[in-house]
Amino acid sequence: MSCTVRIASPLRSYTAGVPALAARGSTLAEVLANLEQRCPGIRFRMIDEHDRIRPHMRLFVNTSEARELSAVVRDGDTVHVICALSGG
Amino acid sequence: MTLSANERARYQRHLALTEIGAAGQEKLKAARVLVVGAGGLGSPAALYLAAAGCGTLGLLDCDRVELSNLQRQVLFDSSGIARSKAEAGRERLASLNPEIRVLAHALELKAANVRALFADYDLVLDGTDRLATRYLINDACVILGLPLVSAAIHRFEGQVMTYVPGRGPCYRCVFPQAPEGGVPNCAQAGVLGVLPGVLGTLQATEAIKLIAGVGEPLVGRLLTYDALEMRFHEFRVARRPDCAVCGDAPTITEPRDPAPLPGAVAGAVRRLTASVLSELLRDEHAPALHLVDVREVYEFSAGHLQGSVNIPLGELPRRLAEIAPYEAPVFICRSGGRSMAACELALRAGITAPANLEGGLLAWAATIDPELPVA
Repeated sequence: MSCTVRIASPLRSYTAGVPALAARGSTLAEVLANLEQRCPGIRFRMIDEHDRIRPHMRLFVNTSEARELSAVVRDGDTVHVICALSGG
Repeated sequence: MTLSANERARYQRHLALTEIGAAGQEKLKAARVLVVGAGGLGSPAALYLAAAGCGTLGLLDCDRVELSNLQRQVLFDSSGIARSKAEAGRERLASLNPEIRVLAHALELKAANVRALFADYDLVLDGTDRLATRYLINDACVILGLPLVSAAIHRFEGQVMTYVPGRGPCYRCVFPQAPEGGVPNCAQAGVLGVLPGVLGTLQATEAIKLIAGVGEPLVGRLLTYDALEMRFHEFRVARRPDCAVCGDAPTITEPRDPAPLPGAVAGAVRRLTASVLSELLRDEHAPALHLVDVREVYEFSAGHLQGSVNIPLGELPRRLAEIAPYEAPVFICRSGGRSMAACELALRAGITAPANLEGGLLAWAATIDPELPVA
């Protein structure tokens, strides 16, 4: 399964500034593990030591929020990584 | 609240809209809106709300206008540098539309004053640049039953959402907690000047719709904007039954300031002034200092203290092992806030006696080395 992961602006230092990457996996957990292989450290910014989505991060599969890493990701889906922003 | 002949002429293009008309314009005239933060977002939002005839407009900001603000904060011009933002903004808005009442609140929003301030308004716009203040505003709006239009920006990206108590999620439903150490604001990360123009006008649009009672507000819909790719995305966000402030069993029932640094942590952090650090660095008999600059990479690249290493605060939790072998690291940032958060992280990880450069590199540049470029 191949999907697109769109990266929140504050995490793009892990992707060399690239806003979206292709990733493989049929669940959110697998997609993030695949992403981590190419962007070491990025998963820890989203997911804590207990495999919970950090409370200032939100993950969406297409337009629906995914609150668990077991969320299903289908071929062609877009995973959006959203981060609380503070700038005004 | 009827319109005068002058007002009918001024707002003719609104009156021509069947969705607004005289009834909607009269609602705008009766409306009382508070804009918290007269910065990149608050500037365009307040200008458009004033032009639209929002009858009472409050502008809250405790800062003064700086030269670096003028790249995006279109409420001000060069003649306003060093003036109170709230007061300079009030004059500009009153000049734009003398028909409305503009109130300047040149103070810092705190739990102690938020109830009294918000009591005089029907709607709040959040354009602040501190996460802690965003939570304070959200919590107060939920508790007081006030609608809130909130936006935030970072580099080329922005978010906007409307929160109406009882009709959808609140800000805490979307982001339950701020991250340890915060997230970079505009001063730290940089921002495209026109970006808050887009988000601030979206906030004003939402406010006008809410007041006039037209259209579909961004309730339960998080709208994001990426200026580099010129893409908008919309995401559905539901209210959380376990939300700390708007949930079924709220634990936050009064607005509160962010928790201060625990006493044990505050006491365990060594606070170094720029002068003391300078003396320690020059003292050949003092133990070697391990300087850790926790600013973003681009800030570090612009200028840093000789011998310091760069570990951006966001990366520090997973890179603590790099500094663990050193005794008493000295954390450094632009103004001392992020470095204090770094000290707290280090203490929790068991690193003893971390030190914080008080006032950051701005203090260093002011007292030790004015040639040091501080991004």
